[in-house]
Amino acid sequence: MDTLLYLTRRIAQALVVILIVTVVVFGLLHALPGGPARGILGPQATPQQITLFNHDQGLDRPLPVQYLYYLRQLLHGDLGTSYTLNEAVSQLIEQRLPKTLVLTVLSAVVGLLLALPLGMWQAVRRNKPADYVITTLSFVAYSTPVYFLGLVLVMVFTQVVRWFPSQAPQGDTVAQVFADPVALVLPVVTGAASMVAVFSRYMRAATLENLSEDYVRTARAGGSRQRAILFRHVFRNSLTPVIAMLGYYVPVLFGGALVVEQLFNYPGMGLLFWSAAQSSDYPVLLGCVLVISVATVVGTLLADVVQRVVDPRVKGGLA
Amino acid sequence: MSVQSAGRWGLVAQFPAPLKARFARNKLAVAGLLVVILFFLFCFLGPLLYSTDQTHTDLTQVNLSPSGAHWLGTDAVGHDELGRLMYGGKVSLLVGLAAGVLATVIGTLWGSIAGYAGGWVDAVMMRVVDAGIAIPALFILLVVSAITTPGVPGLIVILGLVSWLVPSRLVRAETLTLKRRDYVLTLRAIGGSHGRAIARHILPNSVSTIVVAATFQVADAILLVAYVSYLGLGVQPPATDWGGMLSAGLTAAYSGRWWLIVPPGLAIILVVCAFNAIGDGLRDAFDVKGRG
Amino acid sequence: MNNILEMENLGVTFSTESGDVPAVRGVSLRVAPGETLALVGESGSGKSTVALAALGLLPGNARASGGVSVGGTDVVGAGEAELARLRGRTASMVFQEPATALDPLTRIGRQIAEVVRNHRDVSRQEAAAEAVELLRRVGIPDPERRASAFPFQLSGGQRQRVVIAMAIANSPGLLVADEPTTALDVTVQAEILDLLRALAVDSGTGVLLVTHNMGVVADFADRVAVMLEGEIVETGTVEDVLLRPTHEYTRRLLEAVPRLTVSEPVGVVHEESEGAPVVELRGVGVRFGRGPRAVRALDDVSLTVRAGETVGLVGESGSGKSTAARVALGLVAPESGDVSLFGADLRKARGRARRTLLAGVGVVLQDPVASLDARMSVGECVAEPLRVHRSGMGAAERRERVAEVLELVRLPRELARRGPRELSGGQRQRVSLARALVLAPRLLVADEPTSALDVSVQRTVLEVIAELQSELGFACLFVSHDLAVVQQFAGRVVVMRGGRVEEQGPTMSTLLHPETAYTRRLIAAVPIPDPVLQRERRERRVASGTEAGA
Repeated sequence: MDTLLYLTRRIAQALVVILIVTVVVFGLLHALPGGPARGILGPQATPQQITLFNHDQGLDRPLPVQYLYYLRQLLHGDLGTSYTLNEAVSQLIEQRLPKTLVLTVLSAVVGLLLALPLGMWQAVRRNKPADYVITTLSFVAYSTPVYFLGLVLVMVFTQVVRWFPSQAPQGDTVAQVFADPVALVLPVVTGAASMVAVFSRYMRAATLENLSEDYVRTARAGGSRQRAILFRHVFRNSLTPVIAMLGYYVPVLFGGALVVEQLFNYPGMGLLFWSAAQSSDYPVLLGCVLVISVATVVGTLLADVVQRVVDPRVKGGLA
Repeated sequence: MSVQSAGRWGLVAQFPAPLKARFARNKLAVAGLLVVILFFLFCFLGPLLYSTDQTHTDLTQVNLSPSGAHWLGTDAVGHDELGRLMYGGKVSLLVGLAAGVLATVIGTLWGSIAGYAGGWVDAVMMRVVDAGIAIPALFILLVVSAITTPGVPGLIVILGLVSWLVPSRLVRAETLTLKRRDYVLTLRAIGGSHGRAIARHILPNSVSTIVVAATFQVADAILLVAYVSYLGLGVQPPATDWGGMLSAGLTAAYSGRWWLIVPPGLAIILVVCAFNAIGDGLRDAFDVKGRG
Repeated sequence: MNNILEMENLGVTFSTESGDVPAVRGVSLRVAPGETLALVGESGSGKSTVALAALGLLPGNARASGGVSVGGTDVVGAGEAELARLRGRTASMVFQEPATALDPLTRIGRQIAEVVRNHRDVSRQEAAAEAVELLRRVGIPDPERRASAFPFQLSGGQRQRVVIAMAIANSPGLLVADEPTTALDVTVQAEILDLLRALAVDSGTGVLLVTHNMGVVADFADRVAVMLEGEIVETGTVEDVLLRPTHEYTRRLLEAVPRLTVSEPVGVVHEESEGAPVVELRGVGVRFGRGPRAVRALDDVSLTVRAGETVGLVGESGSGKSTAARVALGLVAPESGDVSLFGADLRKARGRARRTLLAGVGVVLQDPVASLDARMSVGECVAEPLRVHRSGMGAAERRERVAEVLELVRLPRELARRGPRELSGGQRQRVSLARALVLAPRLLVADEPTSALDVSVQRTVLEVIAELQSELGFACLFVSHDLAVVQQFAGRVVVMRGGRVEEQGPTMSTLLHPETAYTRRLIAAVPIPDPVLQRERRERRVASGTEAGA
């Protein structure tokens, strides 16, 4: 019963957030020079064409009416048409999104697999040389712009030692992408670097906090060894706050994908967005923003639900 | 990128000692402070000692490697690279600092109002924050700059407007705990006003949280400026910033002209690291989180 | 007979930022099998440090010297591996805070089984079955099902039972209990003490009981060691120490302990006040939250405080006593019923009228740390009500008034310039009291004002309140969980339970001849710092409990 109530409320919250996002995107669409008509008809449209279009599309009606019209279009999956590629935006995104997901999910998994043990190890070796070295490295990894890091990696691994290709897999389908795993290494490492930095810091703090909890003392008083306490109790307890952070990290991952895809010429949604920005292809730009925002909202929702599954304590007072 | 700073919260210092002493003991933080001061001196006073022409191109002096005349060589249009590092640094530091402070101010106002008001006001305000976090800042920046080309003040405003979300969440959380403190309850019980509670108790007690948030925010803003320029949306030539220099030098890197990318790259990394280290040190020194 | 615990000249030093701080010096003690030694003292006396040292559980910045031997093993010199073999098998420990002592994400059965498997080579299934058996032994109902519960699904008392189950899982020779009942309500405390006693008697376990509560000592201990500033100042049998203390400090300590009078009164008899009602709650109901998860915090609560009198509001945690006080202060809006303050309806008063009403109220809350804003000086804290209600007052006049009230609560006026962090807990509570009295209120609401303080400090604070009350004549609504304190302090008492008023009346007659079974049970559960008397009370209580249970 409680869980059902929680889920209903949480999903309602997520819907409200998505609604706010659509308002923002709608607002941006209308802030464009020439409004959505220019955005949809393209920069070459004549004023007559625009007036006609506005009338046909109901764009001369009050803004709230137009917003409802826009929402109805969204509900039908209509994100408009790209005027440079002359294809439905929804279709373009449908083709590119899976590849971007492959890249981001791989980066996230690799990042977490490195960050969690690293953070725990740092907490155990707190204020020892190893901790300081990793802390400094984390700072550097966090402070390096992704494109600079990618560039350095490319220089080192394609020019100095020729271990990896400088381009990501070019295939059109996900299967083709996986057929060339070596080419995935550099993009994934580039995408994962700042994630390792952030989440190892986070895991370190969470582990340290848990190590000073009373239940650790209880376990010690019961004769449990340090290693057992760490893996049986502290790890799981430290994981919950980290999971909660994960949802909020989704937009950062997509932001990283934008740069990584451009850098390694990987034809995903980031690259689509990038070229749309170069050619002022507004429908594509806003369509991508909408999709990523929804993905983030769903991501935070999932993170919250997963956290609830991992942590059986009932959380009071949502809002 | 701004969401990342939320990950740096959590460690609690164990034993109280004077604030300055606690900060000074954090060697990384002190080093960070030094680096920031040095970079400010370098960018703002450096040009007095090492004067260069950064407004006119000089096509007779392009792509020179480092030498006695040009300590860090010259770029593809003949600007002296060391001079350009100072010139671009001014923009990076100013925009980063101003945008970081602006974001913190907006976030503090938003977060403290939401936290103190509570109820549905809080719920609505926080859903707006969720929505803001859901839209990646880089994408918003791309869309906005596709609409207009901002100058330095415009850049500051836009960056401030996309990165106030994390500070607002932090300040809200702080306000929520503070308003339930016994001294606030006592004040309310004897008829003290909300205004007094906020001005005398809640804001003064959130100062440490706000200062720490601002420091991390500046670090993130400097990084964000670099991204904006990489995407070609930053200040326009002949003006530049470190991110702009870096992206201008990208192609040069493949032809071995390392001096065009290594100095601006290192400058960004060093300054961002430094601000992060200062934030870390301040957080431990203030012992943000707990203790009344 | 071989002692299960022997300490010889134990010293413990903590290294902190401000240098080395010795916490324990030259402590020697022993515990024989089947015997309970109580280690008593006030906060900072080092008693908990001694307890932790017994199992080698001292924090990383502590250094121990001298000899600690548990079942023949030297603890001070032992390595972690050797200590791990000892802990949970030869000696185990029960901690103060059941709320945080268990891993929140691990089922309780598993946590108990872990201790079993730490020391004995049994299969997972066998260990799980043993865990269920242990839960049954510590009195958890329906142990098969409860074994798969998470700690948050259990009450505080049940969680403490689980911690005890973990402690006795391998039948240790020594049980160290550090304030095992301090965080619990008195009725639960009585049950936990009964359980610990039964287990110790059954298996001949030696117990080192650390506590500040003399009643618990009288109830449970065979011998007592009194600690003061890191040293043991007196040791003896429980009768000798509690009834015939020889050391000056022990005498002072025992004198400060509020005693529940259980026979006809000898002290002052409070007179019933006939004054006008100062605050009145009529049929008040409060609900927290909305929808199906709403909690009914108060249900049809009516109580009155008249001019000049003190009303004690007592009850266990969750009884609604603090909520009732907050309703009286206007901090919590009731869902139903009326609240009148000085004859006016607080719910209808707005703006200026409300402020004028509230100017007649002073408030002291429980937590000495959270009550004062650490960013203000003591003077500013005390002056705050003046700034709210006497905004026309000049700075010099305000300073003078602050100095006056500080002296009123027996604090030097120079304290005004200091920060709250520089003060002790007792001083802070007196500053809170000064702030509450600075406007010369007609009503003082005190919510557990002394429960975070040591007994000697508590006594001073209570004395100051009582004297000022007779001097200034304000009425007082005094919220407390401590029946003995209320008995000493209040003329009338209101007993609350589960959000309702259980019974109310003049303090002496109500507490000596309670009308409801609950109040009787509550009073019977309060341990009295007299071992002879307490033994009788316990036997009577256990007998009546068995009757009721049968």
